Amino acid sequence: MELLALLTVLLLAHAVAYLAWQAVSRRRRACCYLLDYACHKPSDDRKVTTEMAGDVIERNKRLGLPEYRFLLKVIVNSGIGENTYCPRNVLQGREESPTHDDALEEMDDFFTDAVAGVLAKTGVRARDVDLVVLNVGSFSPAPSLVSRLVHRFGMREDVMAYNLSGMGCSAGLIAVDLARNVMLTRPRTTMALVVTSESCTPNWYVGTDKSMMLGNCLFRCGGAAALLTNDPAFRGRAKMELRCLVRANIGAHDDAHAAAVHREDADGRLGVSLSKALPKAAVRAFTENLQRLAPRILPARELARFVSRLLLRKLLLGPRNNSKAEGGGSSPKIDFKTGVDHFCLHPGGTAVIEAVRKSLGLTAHDVEPARMTLHRWGNTSASSLWYVLSYMEAKRRLKRGDRVLMVTFGSGFKCNSCYWEVTRDLADAGAWEDCIDEYPPETLVNPYMDKFGWLNDLQGQGSGFIF
Amino acid sequence: MPTGGVFSGSVNLKYVKLGYQYLVNHFLTLLLVPVMAATALELARLGPGELLSLWRSLELDLVHILCSAFLVVFVGTVYVMSRPRPVYLVDYACYKPPASCRVPFATFMEHTRLISDDDKSVRFQTRILERSGLGEDTYLPPANHYIPPNPSMEASRAEAQLVIFSAIDDLVRRTGLKPKDIDILVVNCSLFSPTPSLSAMIINKYKLRSNIRSFNLSGMGCSAGLISIDLARDMLQVHPNSNALVVSTEIITPNFYQGSRRDMLLPNCLFRMGAAAILLSNRRREARRAKYRLVHVVRTHKGADDRAYRCVYQEEDDQGFSGISLSKELMAIAGDALKSNITTIGPLVLPMSEQLLFFFRLVGRKLINKTWKPYIPDFKLAFEHFCIHAGGRAVIDELQKNLQLSSRHVEASRMTLHRFGNTSSSSLWYELAYIEAKGRMRRGDRVWQIGFGSGFKCNSAVWKCLRSIKTPTNGPWDDCIHRYPVDVPEVVKL
Repeated sequence: MELLALLTVLLLAHAVAYLAWQAVSRRRRACCYLLDYACHKPSDDRKVTTEMAGDVIERNKRLGLPEYRFLLKVIVNSGIGENTYCPRNVLQGREESPTHDDALEEMDDFFTDAVAGVLAKTGVRARDVDLVVLNVGSFSPAPSLVSRLVHRFGMREDVMAYNLSGMGCSAGLIAVDLARNVMLTRPRTTMALVVTSESCTPNWYVGTDKSMMLGNCLFRCGGAAALLTNDPAFRGRAKMELRCLVRANIGAHDDAHAAAVHREDADGRLGVSLSKALPKAAVRAFTENLQRLAPRILPARELARFVSRLLLRKLLLGPRNNSKAEGGGSSPKIDFKTGVDHFCLHPGGTAVIEAVRKSLGLTAHDVEPARMTLHRWGNTSASSLWYVLSYMEAKRRLKRGDRVLMVTFGSGFKCNSCYWEVTRDLADAGAWEDCIDEYPPETLVNPYMDKFGWLNDLQGQGSGFIF
Repeated sequence: MPTGGVFSGSVNLKYVKLGYQYLVNHFLTLLLVPVMAATALELARLGPGELLSLWRSLELDLVHILCSAFLVVFVGTVYVMSRPRPVYLVDYACYKPPASCRVPFATFMEHTRLISDDDKSVRFQTRILERSGLGEDTYLPPANHYIPPNPSMEASRAEAQLVIFSAIDDLVRRTGLKPKDIDILVVNCSLFSPTPSLSAMIINKYKLRSNIRSFNLSGMGCSAGLISIDLARDMLQVHPNSNALVVSTEIITPNFYQGSRRDMLLPNCLFRMGAAAILLSNRRREARRAKYRLVHVVRTHKGADDRAYRCVYQEEDDQGFSGISLSKELMAIAGDALKSNITTIGPLVLPMSEQLLFFFRLVGRKLINKTWKPYIPDFKLAFEHFCIHAGGRAVIDELQKNLQLSSRHVEASRMTLHRFGNTSSSSLWYELAYIEAKGRMRRGDRVWQIGFGSGFKCNSAVWKCLRSIKTPTNGPWDDCIHRYPVDVPEVVKL
């Protein structure tokens, strides 16, 4: 009797211990910490001012006066300041003939600054990196840029390397999603390096199609590298912990899919065409994303309040729908500020930031990081949200326990969002170090407003300025 | 680079590492061994008569028995449910281009002569084609049939839509897959990555769900097909009850080299049009009709080494034409990368006999006699079928030598190179289709897919066949399989 009982007990104890161990190790691996990140600060000789941009546009003999005025109007109203960075070939007058080596040089500058920077800041050696995910939207040479990174830093033979491309301005969060999913499957803890950038060198548009010229006015050089890990030993040093990531892709709708397309214009020149349907596609994708995000990040109280108000409104208004004039006014809005303390918005352009601000009901203080990033760095595509985060950190806004929501939009059409919790008070100014005290500036008005201000008096030029 | 010493040294370390990992990971399981041994000893000591009286004296009533049974069943179920989910390959489809895209030698040579002014380049390409191992039935996209070729983005998109949508349509026909059921989408295409991405293009065409998890891998070379499979597998481990669609292709249109550098003309001669769409799933009900189960994926990246990194390199020549240069050391580097890959995959797949032999030979070399040659494990004992990336005749020859394979084992690779050319990441799927079309795939067979690519990477995937595949397979080989295998001469005189 004792033996049998002992045997059963031993076996059961063994089974329970095994299962408990599995559960514990799975939980340990399920967390995802942002150890640190570094934003790329290109060298000062690559700075471009409005005047310089005007010169570059003037150089293009194909553009007539209407196009010239349209472009200057866009630049002057874009919210982009005088300190953004351009690729070297454009500043050197070679924007019509970028070479392969120019593009690689831009990437190498970025690797040397940001990737080496983040490894040095954290003390992680390149050989300790288990997973590297690189995302560069419109430049994809052979061997891949991630292989170039592996080669440059001498990473291990069994490093898992992924190279994403073509996924637009929201691909930074896709790279984080990939890293997080792969981390969950590995039996041991993983150190992941997520590198995001955009290649401006081969993408300066030199034709006359207005929808394609906007890219020249908005996109600037930049990049960011971040280290993610699921090793609980790094919890004390980590900056933030990933809580939830939601991706929405409305490419199934044709007009959303065609909102941002890299194609040839009528003369055969390549450029990214931004259609007029882009804001609508952005709003649709945003709604889709928020619908899935809200239940996961907002407190139950807010959700209950929203649902009850919605139901009440439906009951009160009865079968009549879409009646805006009756009773309660506009439809009930869900208040994201109950679940989110800081909003890291993609600085796609002033109109995008404004649209998001309105739809979420945010204040000027909330969108200040995005506006300032747009002013200081321009739209650096997928890496821009790391600059926005860095601004918040430099301004000492991020305190332990705060919750940060990152929202990005991109071609496809996608809207991706990521919810983080800050694990300790953050104070590293990073790439903003030398200029954070000047922000926010007294005025965001372009200093060349006087010189080019006559542009705004012209009517009917370049209908529907979407950014 | 010393082969024997470094190879065996790294293997040595790998075995120690593996042993330690096994010990730690299976600690609780290993604890069970002494417990069971003690129990067995005790039982043996007692003898049958005593056991019976012991059983009677237990005074077990129904409640006890039921409780114990319940506990055992419960624990067993939880254990089974917590194991990693198997990843099934339900089916796959390879794109078969229309006859209008066919490029026989005569067409290729005529076009080359008309496009290029440089006689030497033309003669060089002729020589390459003669020795390439390609046949007369390979395909190039419509844009390359123009004189001169038309490498515009529009034409590239057209080729992408043609090959990818055809492959996916074929897959949907074969599996009855509904677009709304696709949860994960991974697309890899090395040399063409437009905005919006190819994955977004697929989402748009087939109206896939908005919460799909899509990834577009680019620039990762001819071994990217297996990287996509690895990513899909990881995603399937995290998301239960899901389907993953993997699309592997290479878009030839934008990559025609218009210059005259010899090392860059090689891809023009070897790369051909092709695509494959693969459906992976971790749903339990797919296990019944799935063809294969994914057992291992092993990836090796030699990028840290300068020579390996530069061996397949895209750059501009002196005239500014962009092309991919293949270095002369490609074979040696491929051999090295393969050796590294084998050191990881060997212990996972080789039978104990081979591993012990290798271990003893290693010990012998260290302790007894340094001149003993390192033992090359016999992979034919671990796999029934080999799918070696049809990168070129030399690659297949090199691997046949390194792995000591017979010509029957590399037949699938050689015949795929002959019939379809080097279709880059999708070539492994054409080879698998060949083996199936020949009726050689039986239940329980193990397949080893090896891909090489720029970076320099060597990736392996191991599959286990779940059901015997009957012919005809409705694949890309159906109309010509009766002609194969073909004897491919060393040099075809043009």
